[in-house]
Amino acid sequence: MNLDAENTAIVVDSTADFPDAPERFPNWRVVPLYVRFGDESFRDYVELAPEAFYERLRAGGQTPATSQPTPADFLAVYEELAGYERILSIHIAGRLSGTIESARTAAQLLGGERVRTIDSGSASAAIALLGLAVQRRLEEGTTDEEVDRLVERYRRDAGLLFTLETFEYLVRGGRVGRARGWAGELLHIKPILTIEDGEVIPVKRVRGNRKAFLEFGSAFEAETHDGPRLRVGIAHADAPEKAEALRELVGRTRPGAEIELVTSLGPVVGAHAGPGTVGFFWFEDEESRGAS
Amino acid sequence: MTELETLRALVDAACASLERSRRRIDDLNVYPVPDGDTGTNLLLTARGVADALAHSEAGDRQALAQEVTRAALLSARGNSGVILSQIVRGAAEALADADAIDSRAVAHAFRAASDAAYAAVREPVEGTILTVARELADEADAQQDAAIAELFAAVVRRGDEAVARTTEQLDVLRQAGVVDAGAAGLLELVRGIAASLAGEELPPPPSAEELAPEAVHQAQSRFRYCTTFVVEGEGLDADALERELERLGDSLMVVGDPSALKAHVHTDDPDAALALGAAVGTVERVEVADMRAQTEEREARLTSVEPAARCGVVAVSAGAGNRRLFESLGAARIVQGGQTMNPPTAELLAALEATNADEAVLLPNNANVILAAEQAAQLAERPVEVVPTRSLQAGLAALIAFNPERSAAENASEMFGAAETIVAGEVATASRDATIAGVAVRRDEFLGLAGGRVVAAGPVFGEVGRAVAEALLAEPRDVLTLVTGEGAPSLDGLLDELAERHPELEIEVHEGGQPHYPLLLSAE
Repeated sequence: MNLDAENTAIVVDSTADFPDAPERFPNWRVVPLYVRFGDESFRDYVELAPEAFYERLRAGGQTPATSQPTPADFLAVYEELAGYERILSIHIAGRLSGTIESARTAAQLLGGERVRTIDSGSASAAIALLGLAVQRRLEEGTTDEEVDRLVERYRRDAGLLFTLETFEYLVRGGRVGRARGWAGELLHIKPILTIEDGEVIPVKRVRGNRKAFLEFGSAFEAETHDGPRLRVGIAHADAPEKAEALRELVGRTRPGAEIELVTSLGPVVGAHAGPGTVGFFWFEDEESRGAS
Repeated sequence: MTELETLRALVDAACASLERSRRRIDDLNVYPVPDGDTGTNLLLTARGVADALAHSEAGDRQALAQEVTRAALLSARGNSGVILSQIVRGAAEALADADAIDSRAVAHAFRAASDAAYAAVREPVEGTILTVARELADEADAQQDAAIAELFAAVVRRGDEAVARTTEQLDVLRQAGVVDAGAAGLLELVRGIAASLAGEELPPPPSAEELAPEAVHQAQSRFRYCTTFVVEGEGLDADALERELERLGDSLMVVGDPSALKAHVHTDDPDAALALGAAVGTVERVEVADMRAQTEEREARLTSVEPAARCGVVAVSAGAGNRRLFESLGAARIVQGGQTMNPPTAELLAALEATNADEAVLLPNNANVILAAEQAAQLAERPVEVVPTRSLQAGLAALIAFNPERSAAENASEMFGAAETIVAGEVATASRDATIAGVAVRRDEFLGLAGGRVVAAGPVFGEVGRAVAEALLAEPRDVLTLVTGEGAPSLDGLLDELAERHPELEIEVHEGGQPHYPLLLSAE
């Protein structure tokens, strides 16, 4: 079957941190997760914007908890997309969230082959960058097989580094992965982490934000080549100055790269990473496809 | 006497001789701060050989040489101990290969010992134990036709001259007006052997009471409570109190004068020990530590957390706070030690072998521990890399760059690079009056060093601390880390002043608890 942007929809969950996707692409939808403060429950982004969330977090009080969308949430969106013959449902790693399980359940309820769920193996802008790479192929016409190959390559080659202000949130949410015990009692330690196959992996520890940025820069330069094939995403939790510093870093070291997304981490991802987190995502696509 | 019995007698004589001079040699340090305890290190290394001989059942000279060599390697402490262990190895192997133990064979053994000592050190420095080892070999060569006892007598005379000359051979020794401690220790060992061969008497070896508390602690005790207290009174009798305490436990030490005694004992009944003190005077400064609980707690913590990793870290550190810092940063095993207590190779080796990882990185964190660490790395059954950190501060910086998922070799290179990015300094308490590099310091005053250079001295802690900090901040730095030692004065004034003068600087303070150094500093 030939897939294009007319007959194929892309569904992501809200942890892609790409809330304006449906405005940019008529074939995209976002299914929100939930963030809870005590008895109050909010749909990620829809009922609680990042700014309000971080304000609430800074004010202290109750610790936020998160939960995945229900299968019914997915079913509603899939049904709304009745005009599309194929739905590619791209999600946060199954090892980080049960979101993709809800999506699969909904897909099974619908029956048939129409909905294909895809585990990004990662989170946040990594999901968005993968979706955008798929979209570029849809706009030129593609196949399920080509999408499969893209996903496989993306999971293998896409780059992600992030650093936290504190491990507190990651530990509390049980997402610390193999970085357990990585923080230490010294202050001002900036752990540099990545996600592989949905698991948080320690890359390096340095002291001070300046050194963390130096590390980001040297890893980015070592793993990428300049040019329009290089796609970049930046996401920050209430730390716009860090996002800006990364944007400058990309402009300085890889002026030909396209920064596809600079975004806030939404309430759900922010609840697990904590304020001050900054994430740096990149992917060298195979060939220059039409700009999305 | 069999060869084994002869050897036992000679090694015991060597140890007894060194024991008499141990204190004096310990005090021969260049800086007036406890620094390496060379005499103690050499003695504990030599005693390792004596203990092995006492239990040896070796059937021939080759087997005996192997046992002696291994014992020396495993008990080696400090750089001087490691060099001594190589001297022992060189001599033992040469003697094992000799047809008969005559003067020619002895001269050959002196030469092999000297060669092995030089080979143990990457950049040999003259005016040290190496120089004296070589001169002893030169003299032995010249005396090949003499009887063995005469050969040794001549070697000792030559050694006395050679040790005296070390003062002039090294700038640091000349400035401090002392001879090289390692060289002096080696000569005392040889002097003991010479006296025994000549049938001369040595004074009986002092009892364990003269061992420092740290050394006493090295031994595993079968008793539960480490108990220390001070008794004040009149006409106190140290020997009498010691005899009474002896019935309650081991690791005994009673020192002091008739007006005040300090007692240390490992016992299951600390109350009874304190009662013995109270019977003769006023008991003060009581400390009772439950050693078993400490051990169990640590074992539980270490065994519960860590699944097998690709790479683990063993670090040498002193002070409870520093232990916590190193553990929190991912060190799997901590070996207690540092400036005044250089851990033996065997203890480093045991910690490496107990680490639940395929490979390991070892952080000596003290210049005097580096050689023992390298020796332990060679003896270990798994790949071990030594990152030659010379300070606790460098060790912390290195450990930050550690990643348990990488190989030891990859880690070592990253960690070495990280340690190089910091500058370290310290404030020490002077243990005697001295003038170093033109800076005069009095006993119990503070001595400030930055990058190994003396930058300040004086009675006011804050002033010396500030001078060190400013020296470290001569180039722009991001983070200044302060680690306070045992009984450190307050940092309040110093911190305010630093924050005011360096508004961009991130300042971080930890309670390290290390002895002798009220403050360790590092800037990066």
